[in-house]
Amino acid sequence: MNGVMLVARREVATQIRTKGFVIGLLVTALVVAAVSFAPKLMDRPDSYTIGTVNSERLPLDRAAPEAKFEWKEFADEATARQAVLDGDVDAVVVGGTKVLADGQLDDELGVLLQSVNREVKLGAAGVSIPPLQMETVGEDARYDSARTGIAVVLVLVLFMLIIGQVSMVAMGVVEEKGSRIVEILLSSIRPWQLLAGKIIGLGVLGLINLVVILGVGLGAAAASGIAADFPPGIGGLVVGVLVWFVLGYAFFATLSAAFASLVSRQEEVGSVITPLTMTIMVTYFVAFYATTDATGTLATVMSYIPPFSSMVMPVRMAATEVPLWQVAASMAAMLVAVLAVLSFGAGVYRRAVLRTGARLKLTEVLRAG
Amino acid sequence: MLEISELRKRFAGGPDAPGGKVALDGVGFSVRPGEMYGFVGANGAGKTTTMRIVMGVLQADSGSVSWQGRPLDYDARRRFGYMPEERGLYQKMRVAEQIEYFGRLHGLSAPAAHKATEELMERLGVAERRNEAVQALSLGNQQRVQLAVALVHDPEVLVLDEPFSGLDPIAVDALAGTLQERCRGGVPVIFSSHQLDLVERLCDAVGIVARGRMVASGTVAELRAAESDTLRVVVRDPAPGWADGLPGTVTVNGDRHVLRTTSADDQEVLRRAIKAGRVEHFGVEQPTLTEIFKEAVA
Ligand SMILES: Nc1ncnc2c1ncn2[C@@H]1O[C@H](COP(=O)(O)OP(=O)(O)O)[C@@H](O)[C@H]1O
Ligand SMILES: [Mg+2]
Repeated sequence: MNGVMLVARREVATQIRTKGFVIGLLVTALVVAAVSFAPKLMDRPDSYTIGTVNSERLPLDRAAPEAKFEWKEFADEATARQAVLDGDVDAVVVGGTKVLADGQLDDELGVLLQSVNREVKLGAAGVSIPPLQMETVGEDARYDSARTGIAVVLVLVLFMLIIGQVSMVAMGVVEEKGSRIVEILLSSIRPWQLLAGKIIGLGVLGLINLVVILGVGLGAAAASGIAADFPPGIGGLVVGVLVWFVLGYAFFATLSAAFASLVSRQEEVGSVITPLTMTIMVTYFVAFYATTDATGTLATVMSYIPPFSSMVMPVRMAATEVPLWQVAASMAAMLVAVLAVLSFGAGVYRRAVLRTGARLKLTEVLRAG
Repeated sequence: MLEISELRKRFAGGPDAPGGKVALDGVGFSVRPGEMYGFVGANGAGKTTTMRIVMGVLQADSGSVSWQGRPLDYDARRRFGYMPEERGLYQKMRVAEQIEYFGRLHGLSAPAAHKATEELMERLGVAERRNEAVQALSLGNQQRVQLAVALVHDPEVLVLDEPFSGLDPIAVDALAGTLQERCRGGVPVIFSSHQLDLVERLCDAVGIVARGRMVASGTVAELRAAESDTLRVVVRDPAPGWADGLPGTVTVNGDRHVLRTTSADDQEVLRRAIKAGRVEHFGVEQPTLTEIFKEAVA
């Protein structure tokens, strides 16, 4: 175990110091922060400036508490008209009977003025109408758009991190094999220790990235106030995403190390792990499609099938409410797949990593025993 | 004592060699504590394969390796030092960190690895380069770091595959000095080499391997004793046919005739030579390692 930790620590220590890692982390943090603030910047609360000529101020803020109203009084209709034309005010209420606007009056403001005016007049006449009570009979749809947004961002983050770390694993394996460092390494530690150390080390770096992204994202969302629109249970989602990253990464990274151990030159890495990168892409596409139809059959079925489940289930968890037993069942299936892949990958790696030279065939390695 | 016996290894055949390739066909020798053992053989003879099996990097098909009377296992092997034929270091890792890392992989504690690294860098003259990436070093310095990696955990046994290849004479002497020092401390050292003069100068014992078989093994004196001494006679401008009927070979070099023989009666040869011309040289020569080697692999 000590050997595993030493190898893992070396991976973390050497990567974390590189410019690439530090810059990558800063850029992601900035992008995530910007994305978290953007909705707030684009979607500012409505604010209106309303003028009056010989009129009462209508109690608009009672009917629309989120909007801001500023009031201006004008001495006569002529000055009010000029102010409307100049754009100083959005609308002017004249004598409690008509409204002046430049061209078309803002729809929302129009409806608001009409209904509040009616209410005030009726109230004065002694009629009071209780407001209509709203009740939803379908699912609570309040958080739907926030949920979809979160799912889209999460699956993209998972995809980028997994594909990035998985190719780092492949390059690291070939670096050691091609330069024959493995010969010295394997005279002091066992192949599985080297493999496990590398996968854990690069996985920890991926987790650091993920935690920073989630932390910055949630922090920025809280600071900008959009966290108020987040659905309940965001804490469970965060934990789920971390677990799914670990499972998905373990699956793909092990296969990546096994495939990479078949070649001896960095130039060959790309082609030897192509089937794997394609699988990750397909997983991503399926998961992305699931963000558009999280309750559909495809999303539901795929959220149980490893390795697709590693991205589709987090999408479902973000986009809808998934019963805990379903998450647990899907995680168990993925865990079994990870264990199978670990035993297969470690076997291939052990047999192939010392056989430098031409690219080996997987069948040949498996036959060699 | 390190005992290697009856190693056999066959590599799976590729398209060019469908039947597979026998790399070792019964290689065995033993090395005593404090002994410097030279392992020589032509290219492809099986030296690297043997050393990889000793280091556990390859599995033999049959045969055994034992250390101090017990089969060599993983834990004992961790206390060996190894320099592979194809050198390998992390190119982007710093010198000191790299040596320390390998020390720790071999089981040293962090402070022990640190201390050993400092001492070795000082000894091998790479201390000023401690914080440079290996790729920034000259090849000679990279070799030194490679040696430091093999030595950092104060190994019980040293296994070095072609450690002298590519070194200039000064570096050769420095490396030889370091190895001799370890030997004096009781460590058995095995190294392979093509440079037979070097092996002859440094080694207490020599093993010669050819096509996967041991053809000779023993101390240099023992190998010499197994070969008969050669009588070498140089005669200037002799009468033609002077050596007819004598066993051995005559080579003509200008007007000098050189007779080499291992079986002729020396007094008879001397009489004939004096009669034939001016005798410039008459003496018995011990075979050099090169001659023993050529004889053995022929
Ligand atoms: N991985 C391998 N696959 C197939 N043949 C090999 C392999 N390694 C070595 N050989 C063959 O085994 C023989 C011995 O090689 P080696 O031990 O490297 O010789 P040396 O080190 O004495 O030059 C050679 O014929 C070589 O081609
Ligand atoms: Mg060799």
